[in-house]
Amino acid sequence: MNGLSVQGLSKAYGDASVRALDNFSLDFPADQCTVLLGPSGCGKTTVLRSIAGLIAPDAGRITIDGAVVFDAASGSDVPPEKRRLGMVFQSYALWPHLSVAENIAYPLLSAGLPKAEVARRTEAMLDWIGLGGMGSRYVHELSGGQQQRISLGRAMVAKPRAILFDEPLSNLDARLRERMRLELLALRQQAPFTSIYVTHDQLEAMTLADRVVVMRAGKIEQVGSPEEVYKRPRTRFSADFVGIPNLLEATVRSIAGPDLVVETAVGVLAARSWRSDWSAGVRCTVAVRPTLLTVQGEGRSGRVVRSVFQGASTIELIDFNGTQVAIESLGEERHDPGSTVTVKPATGAVFAVLDD
Amino acid sequence: MVAALAVIMVLYPVAVVALRSISKEEIGSPLTLEWISALFASARSREALVNTVIYTAGSTVLAMGLGVGLAFLSTRTDMPGGRTIGVLALLPMLVPPFILVVGWVAIADPNAGFINILASALMGSRTTWVSINTMAGLIWMTGLFLTPYVYLMVAAGFRNSDSAMEEAARVSGAGRRRLLFTVILPLQRPALLAALLLVIIMAAGDFIIPATVGLKAKIYMLPSLIWQNHASFPARPGLAAAQSLLLVAVGLLCIYFQRRALSRGGRYTTVGGKGSHPTLFPLGKLRYPLGAFALLFALSSSVIPLLAVGSMAFMRYWSPYALKPENLTWRNFNYMLFEYPQVWPSAQHSLFLAFAGATACVVLAIALAWYVLRMRGKLAGIVEYAMVLPLGIPGIALGVGILSLWILVPGGIYGTLWILLLAYVTAHIPVAMQFVSSALHRIHTDLEDASRIAGQAWAGTVRRINIPLMRPALIGSWLLMYVVILREISLVILLYNPSTIVLSVGLMDVWQNGFYPELAVYSLLLLALGVVPVAVLWKFARFGAD
Repeated sequence: MNGLSVQGLSKAYGDASVRALDNFSLDFPADQCTVLLGPSGCGKTTVLRSIAGLIAPDAGRITIDGAVVFDAASGSDVPPEKRRLGMVFQSYALWPHLSVAENIAYPLLSAGLPKAEVARRTEAMLDWIGLGGMGSRYVHELSGGQQQRISLGRAMVAKPRAILFDEPLSNLDARLRERMRLELLALRQQAPFTSIYVTHDQLEAMTLADRVVVMRAGKIEQVGSPEEVYKRPRTRFSADFVGIPNLLEATVRSIAGPDLVVETAVGVLAARSWRSDWSAGVRCTVAVRPTLLTVQGEGRSGRVVRSVFQGASTIELIDFNGTQVAIESLGEERHDPGSTVTVKPATGAVFAVLDD
Repeated sequence: MVAALAVIMVLYPVAVVALRSISKEEIGSPLTLEWISALFASARSREALVNTVIYTAGSTVLAMGLGVGLAFLSTRTDMPGGRTIGVLALLPMLVPPFILVVGWVAIADPNAGFINILASALMGSRTTWVSINTMAGLIWMTGLFLTPYVYLMVAAGFRNSDSAMEEAARVSGAGRRRLLFTVILPLQRPALLAALLLVIIMAAGDFIIPATVGLKAKIYMLPSLIWQNHASFPARPGLAAAQSLLLVAVGLLCIYFQRRALSRGGRYTTVGGKGSHPTLFPLGKLRYPLGAFALLFALSSSVIPLLAVGSMAFMRYWSPYALKPENLTWRNFNYMLFEYPQVWPSAQHSLFLAFAGATACVVLAIALAWYVLRMRGKLAGIVEYAMVLPLGIPGIALGVGILSLWILVPGGIYGTLWILLLAYVTAHIPVAMQFVSSALHRIHTDLEDASRIAGQAWAGTVRRINIPLMRPALIGSWLLMYVVILREISLVILLYNPSTIVLSVGLMDVWQNGFYPELAVYSLLLLALGVVPVAVLWKFARFGAD
């Protein structure tokens, strides 16, 4: 079987009652990019470092391409240098005493390849990451983006079984981060490779992932395609993490398969749920993305509390009988605090009913 | 394993000294308090105690005054030549203290010192202006010898102080003087306190000056008395152990307070933004006088004594009337370097010990630093503490501890070069450890992890990543160990025997025979052997924590 698989991974640091990982199991299919998304301390980096072999979990099993590299039960633990993986670090972790070419050639030399082949593949990798002719420079002479590319080149050059990304873009400034994100995407589209990508940035997760895994306190909160996670968060935690501030109390009106109609403070909404055990009249929580509500001539009326201009869009906080809801619109129109407006859902919008 | 051995290695001498000071004979004999009480009952011991206190206090005050003053003047004022004086102030660390002693004897001996010869020539009759054979003379030499350590510990703080904090004080209405006493100096309080305690330890435990000029002037101090109680008749090793115990107690107390001062220094951390050059204090009219004054003091601790030793080395004999051109000769060099029987054996031993000792210290320090910082082993905390303690144990006391134990091991290493090596490594591993662990600390573990993932096993990672990245610091600490071991005497004075004589002990022999021009040549040899590797490896090395 190709790809990676972890089963029943647990890890506690120091105080044994706080678990960084709690019986974590997941398959990472070959040639796909799986993004572990979560706040700091959710265990995503622990998963990554366990796969890399940099830390030994307390329990569980890790297999790469069908071969067991870690098994707490049998005590087997293949050291990181034998796992044939590549890793891109947040700090880049480029060696300052080696030139750019030497940094990239390092995994090839470690693998004991003949000099001529090392030189050829290093040259090819330098060209591929757009740093051809810069091999003799030293790392500190290059920009942050270039350093990140060297780091990627070093991780990929030995054709590893998978590449692990540990928040690789979070040390870059916003503009560079966006460019690198698109470059990474382009690289993966050219030649797919198995990758596991750890981040707390939902935008990175949405762009790069074939599959997003939202993590919380050492456990999986939700797994799905970027679209699923973005549009239909399963829990309050997921909803919050994909940027939905409005969690509205609602009552189920009617059920048709997975489709629900719910009644909320902002009106009647079409919604979907991952659960199927709803019945009419039951209370539930709906995640309402601020961009999916519009201020229009007809609909439920509310009072504007605050209107914030933030460049590309305007955020207005509107009070509906004590329930405050944020609405984000791209239009130029703004409303004075205290004025009354009417609000309705965007055409075709389907909202997420949360499990909890 | 290595960690546990290292802890035992540095801790047992203290226990042995304590045990020996309450044992009637060698360790294992009936216990007694007679040595502890003799500490205060014996008139000589009491006298030494008082002298040690005066000597420590005097040289501490002098070293602190000079060190802090020079550091402030050279980093924070517009004094001319500040940078040069900064280098000069650190130079004595490279010069063996023996040079300082011989040099100042040449300058300020009551009979044949250059100053008094000049005085006699000016006054027409035999006149003595200054005498090195006094408590003031001893304090002067020790104060100069310790000044660079103070300078080193406080200058960095002055240089890196955050100018914004000072500007805030100025804007709040503080004048320059007020700024100095309410902001600048208080901010350096941890560094000042740490320097003060270090200097107290070094002064109280100093051996070379009390054992040479001190004994000549019949000013007895604890370290020299410990030596005498061991080496001269009637030997009283029990009393020596009790005296050592007292020094150890003072030293450990100072170390405790020093660590506390440094660890509390966290809240004073003021390493400010890059390139925020602190404003310089204008000295006004005092600019040149203060500059000249600073230069004189900076020269007094290295260049002036070195010149004096250099000129003494060429004199046929040394007396008040020997300063004549016809008395200049190469004979002393010829004699000391090619005819004097002790010189080459002692040089060989010293070089072996310095090379092997420095190498062993650095290698052990790498292992220990790895254990503490990377493996975070069970003993890591203990190792860290244990590695600080020897800093508070004077060399002579450590010598007593090592001697008292190994003398009991029949046919063992006592009387060989190995016991000297053991002593050197025990004494100096803490300093090597500080260098190496601060270097290892600066290597982000990601750099090692990246190498592991790239297919290098642990050993290959250490060899290809850690060692190259730490190389400047490793070379720096090796050089420091080498120079310090080469000149070290207080440790080995009790442990050597005629077949394992080293350069510094050979120097003591020549001193006791009173052949000063030969002594000058001998001490220049010691200097040269120390300086050569430093000069060769200088540019590959990095010293200090930053």
